[in-house]
Amino acid sequence: MALTRTVLDALTRILGPDGVISSPEGRLVYECDMQTFYKGAPDVVALPESAEQVEAIVRLCRRERVPVVPRGSGSGLIGGAMAPAGGVMVGLNRMDRILEVDLPNRCATVQPGLVNLWLTRAVEDRGYFFAPDPSSQMVSSIGGNVSTNAGGPHCLKYGITVNHVLGLELVTGAGERVQLGGKVADRPGYDLTGTAVGAEGTFGLVTAITVRLLHAAEAVKTVLASFPSIEHASEAVSGIIAAGIIPAALEMLDALMIQAIEAGIGAGYPKGAAAVLLIELDGPAAEVEAQAERAAAICRERGALDVRVARDEAERALLWKGRKEAAGALGRLAPMYMLQDAVVPRSKLPAIMREILAISERHGVQIANVFHAGDGNLHPLILYDDRHPEQVERARAANEEVLHACIAMGGTVTGEHGVGLDKAQKLPLQYADADLNFMYRLRGVFDPDRLMNPGKLLPSHPACGEGFRPARPRLPDGAWI
Amino acid sequence: MPVAGRSVGGALAAILGREGLREDDAARAAASVDGEVPRWVARPATPEQVSGVLALAHDAGLAVAPRGSGSALELGRPPARVDVVLDLGGLDRVLDWSPDDLTVSVQAGVSAGALATRLAGRRQLLPLDPPGAATRTLGGLTATAASGPLRARYGTLRDLLLGVRFVQADGVVTWGGARVVKSVSGYDVPKLMIGALGTLGVLVELTLRLHPTPEAERTWLVRVRDGAEAQAVVDALLDSAIQPNRVELLNGAALGAAGLPAGAAAVAVSVGTVAAAVRAQGEALAALARRVGGEAVPQPADFWDRYGRAGALGGGVRLRVATLVTGLAAALGELDAAAADLAPGVAARVTGCAAVGALHVALAPIAPEAAAALVERLRGFVAPAGGSVVVEAGPRALREALDPWGPVAPGPLGLMRALKDEFDPARVLNPGRFVGGL
Repeated sequence: MALTRTVLDALTRILGPDGVISSPEGRLVYECDMQTFYKGAPDVVALPESAEQVEAIVRLCRRERVPVVPRGSGSGLIGGAMAPAGGVMVGLNRMDRILEVDLPNRCATVQPGLVNLWLTRAVEDRGYFFAPDPSSQMVSSIGGNVSTNAGGPHCLKYGITVNHVLGLELVTGAGERVQLGGKVADRPGYDLTGTAVGAEGTFGLVTAITVRLLHAAEAVKTVLASFPSIEHASEAVSGIIAAGIIPAALEMLDALMIQAIEAGIGAGYPKGAAAVLLIELDGPAAEVEAQAERAAAICRERGALDVRVARDEAERALLWKGRKEAAGALGRLAPMYMLQDAVVPRSKLPAIMREILAISERHGVQIANVFHAGDGNLHPLILYDDRHPEQVERARAANEEVLHACIAMGGTVTGEHGVGLDKAQKLPLQYADADLNFMYRLRGVFDPDRLMNPGKLLPSHPACGEGFRPARPRLPDGAWI
Repeated sequence: MPVAGRSVGGALAAILGREGLREDDAARAAASVDGEVPRWVARPATPEQVSGVLALAHDAGLAVAPRGSGSALELGRPPARVDVVLDLGGLDRVLDWSPDDLTVSVQAGVSAGALATRLAGRRQLLPLDPPGAATRTLGGLTATAASGPLRARYGTLRDLLLGVRFVQADGVVTWGGARVVKSVSGYDVPKLMIGALGTLGVLVELTLRLHPTPEAERTWLVRVRDGAEAQAVVDALLDSAIQPNRVELLNGAALGAAGLPAGAAAVAVSVGTVAAAVRAQGEALAALARRVGGEAVPQPADFWDRYGRAGALGGGVRLRVATLVTGLAAALGELDAAAADLAPGVAARVTGCAAVGALHVALAPIAPEAAAALVERLRGFVAPAGGSVVVEAGPRALREALDPWGPVAPGPLGLMRALKDEFDPARVLNPGRFVGGL
């Protein structure tokens, strides 16, 4: 769809020539996010510097019936920040200021383009941090985190993004700029803030975010345990949880992943182990001390080959470096991978890992596993070479089967990456028609014309269409009506 | 279309069975909401029956008031209409408890006390402890966004509710969220149902996140000379490495009601973790209290039972006051001044979570006019910083004299109205009781 001259001129009037990218080569940069499988360049890229400009853009697009696609750093993994239907992409990187830090009330208000880690950097010398820590936190924007309701290794203890968002300024799909929530935690009415987090731009564009800041823990300890099998490591996870310990993070890597990381950056993981468990505890010093000892003992009881406690900050950082760069390390094994983000109940970990192994053998593809074991959030990485179409096919088939297996075990299709274009068609695996229809109508309340990030989050499905009516119970026969 | 009461009654009886429907005067009177006597009292035994009742009510143009234990019926505006009271106490099954996953799925009528008893066997807890929680239903606690002292550490239902099954106004059974602790697939529908007073759907099933019970716990009462010192204790505590699981502020009247030694104010702090860390943090707390000029006095194990009584009262007025954490002392001061001006002689007991600025004020005995004036004045005081005052309980006259929810800004209110129009256009669910008269 080509934009009319009217829209381009109006955008230039709103943003100035510096704020509009309309050349083909300029737009090409924005054709995909980190999920490069899906491509769709916008007709134009708008780079606002203020909430007023965002509001003007949305109103213009609504008037002209042009799709609007928000984009933060473009580091998403779900085909969320790309424009399958063209339209105006709104890049929010220029809105990257910290508007207020209020440490006595333990919160901050930021613009959406602010990079996640910068917020912690701004307050860490005073002993505070912003808890959501997706692996992308060095580049991903807080607006993007809010949009996808991002998680991270530490959300086992601290929760995902929504648990840290107190308020939002949102320009709805109707072009209204509204303040939802704010610094005071409780307020009367529906929790619109909580509902809007994770809406992936389909409710509108977020122009400011008030987030909770947490006081840094007194002590942190990282324990590394290697096991002869995934089953042993999973048993240790169950043992730790059963002992009443909620680690800040509880991460597992499988043999293929360990091999790739060691060949790549060399994180000091033991050779020959079939599973590595990374356990991080934080909190009051005496608690961390006692729980680290207990966790280490549980690992030994469950057959660990080796248990180590990071001796200093440098070693701790190195252990984490391997985990955080796991996906990148796979480049040594294959040129491409498909990344899955499904979740199973934690108690189903051994079962799902057996199933994933079987799927890998059945389809003749290598699957490396790195995952948030504490909350059952899996990240199987299915390796393939895109120069061989049949490998792509096998990888895709394996990917599909993994997802179905997770759902069959009571899980969910995405734990922290979001739905985007990638998972939209998978939602019917998890939700009935009535559930999908409810979500479809919910979106319409915020975005009546359905122009905000179209094609994302909701599937193309009869239940997500005008006029669909979910089945109602049959009422008793008789002359009552 | 209007229908004759008799035939609707017949249809309800067909849906609910004889044991699930009451039409006698005594049952109807006992189920009245703000004096509005329903025509029927329905007590469904299954979610399907809830669905049937709502489908019927929807088609017959009836208004339905969902009800859990009946302890929070004074929250909100008086109802515009009540035809059916839907008593969800019969949905009382724990459906699936998976201790290894720290999750539980329950029907909405399960009481927090019944669940706690089950969970205690494996040393797990649902950290949701508003006054009287033991006898309240989990559906009711969710619909009213109730919270208690433990929110200082564990947050609120917003942090605990993972999945929800509800019945829409037209009878369609709907699920939102997930049964696992982490999921972002689709919109966060459970958030929409928390505190919604059943106005978008009737809750029938909840999946909740559990926490391990700390192996050791201790409580201290930090006694201070005035509100300013209490504020200093709270500020210093929150800026320290101490990890409390409760931080409650009490004023002098609340201390008296809890049978605690007299004083102007105090901060009750509990710590729950491994024994060694409890000891270490207790010492840190004592040192912190001394620095601010107060004293941390260890409390017996039954402290929190007594504390619950300080907030509870019958026949009075209860308020939820939300303020910035840094505005606690100022809010206390304003409340005292307002009470002295507008309701002399009335004891205003203040308790509440100082870690997030969520206070509970209990006033008794107080005339509705005086209470209304006091609420308006408090609202004026806390509103500029984003605070609010909600009448949580009180006589109908008070909630007719002023909006018990207080004002909601036009932007969000417009969205709330649009939500209600979308999901309950016929105004079947609790009509008139929610914010903005929704």
